[in-house]
Amino acid sequence: MKKILLAEDNSMLSLLLKFRLEKEGYELLIAENGKESIALIEEHSPALILTDIMMPFISGLEVISHVRNTLFAKTPIIVFSASGQEEVVLKAFKLGANDFMSKPFSPNELMNRVQRILR
Amino acid sequence: MVVFNYFIELFEKSDLIIEFVWFLIAMLLFLVITIIIYLKYLRSTLRRNEKSKNKLEKEFETAIITYLYAGDPDSKEISSDQLLIIEGLKKGTSKSYRKDILIATMLKLGYEISGEMAESIDKLYIQTGLKEYSLSKLKNKKWNLIAEGIRELTLFEVKEVQHLVKEHLNHPKSEVRSEMQLYLVNLFHFKGLDFLNEIKTPISEWDQIQLLEVLQLYKTQEISDISSWLKSSNESVVFFSLKLAKIYNQYGVKEELIALLQHPNVNVRVEAIHIISHLDIIEAKNELKTNFNTLDLEEQIAFFAMIEETYELADKPFILDNILNPNFEIKYSALKILKELSLDEFNSFKDLSLDPQFIKIINFVESN
Repeated sequence: MKKILLAEDNSMLSLLLKFRLEKEGYELLIAENGKESIALIEEHSPALILTDIMMPFISGLEVISHVRNTLFAKTPIIVFSASGQEEVVLKAFKLGANDFMSKPFSPNELMNRVQRILR
Repeated sequence: MVVFNYFIELFEKSDLIIEFVWFLIAMLLFLVITIIIYLKYLRSTLRRNEKSKNKLEKEFETAIITYLYAGDPDSKEISSDQLLIIEGLKKGTSKSYRKDILIATMLKLGYEISGEMAESIDKLYIQTGLKEYSLSKLKNKKWNLIAEGIRELTLFEVKEVQHLVKEHLNHPKSEVRSEMQLYLVNLFHFKGLDFLNEIKTPISEWDQIQLLEVLQLYKTQEISDISSWLKSSNESVVFFSLKLAKIYNQYGVKEELIALLQHPNVNVRVEAIHIISHLDIIEAKNELKTNFNTLDLEEQIAFFAMIEETYELADKPFILDNILNPNFEIKYSALKILKELSLDEFNSFKDLSLDPQFIKIINFVESN
């Protein structure tokens, strides 16, 4: 079963995506902040990382940087951003993010992207 | 006991002022103890409430997520499992604070997702009777509850109660008016701006920015006819329409914009000049040039900013008239334009004045 890490501080969105992704046969690891997500990435080496940009303690950008520059991992990363954060999204791409979704997003569309990346 | 008797004796033998001070100390001590007990009680009550709120939130979160996945993906009808959840939520939200928690929980997800699931949440809001709850807030005497009710109707996109929301068009509290305007623009876009025909109260600068922000989320360029708003007796409506004219390049309201040059408010006239300049409405240039000396200083400066963008050879005599204008900005602008129009004439007028400010401008324009 492929593992997906979700770094998201909105518990309800995490729960919604957990239901959906588990239904599709993935194992979801949930982190409520950047610090937790780094610990989970190091422990489980997930096949895909879904991360919000704005998170407590350590931001999504720092998580991407850690994955690419410290762990030297090529794990695909999808970034969630709020509208109006275009500059931050560009920074995320420069750091090595593979895709981004602007909030509010459709969970169905996210599923399509996840399946395409993990095919 | 001996010590206690000693103190009593000492107290009785003391002066009246000492007795009073002791009495005061006892009173303060009593007060401090009472406050500490009250604060402890308050803290434990707040913690208890917070705990029960969190518990309730978790329950609602699970119920909402289960509801979202309990539907039949091929049908728009509500499934029997969903009906059960709706009934459960209805029963669980008999008190208004529980309704508020449910609404907040729904919005927590509503802000983050779009598409079919967001529509399902909107549907759940209606099915659980929360729409009626939000509507009841509109009839409340407290302005903050009215504003809250309108915000909820906006966020859950309840379009059919437009007439009830519009009743608060000229509400004395600006917060309520702001929510009402956002409701209309969020749900009806440019069509929602029709309230500008009726509004008597001012629209603050912040509210105008918020409305424009919402409008820009929609890609449509089919903007309503703004000509009547440019003639409005409500000055804030005129200012807002001028912003719309600029953002959406409304060349069609040329006549109305030129007419605004006669508006009694100088700020409106100045803004109108800026928009006329932005839209390159050359027809207004001659009128402004002819009446230049009767214009207010702000208008004259705005007009020169316009000429900087639209100057032509025919403007030279007018520019020459103003190279010694007492206002710094106009003088600088005139010299800059003159240099562009004719370098020879600029050079010949260089020594026109010995005023240090004039010389400084000349040197600056020459080197730039």
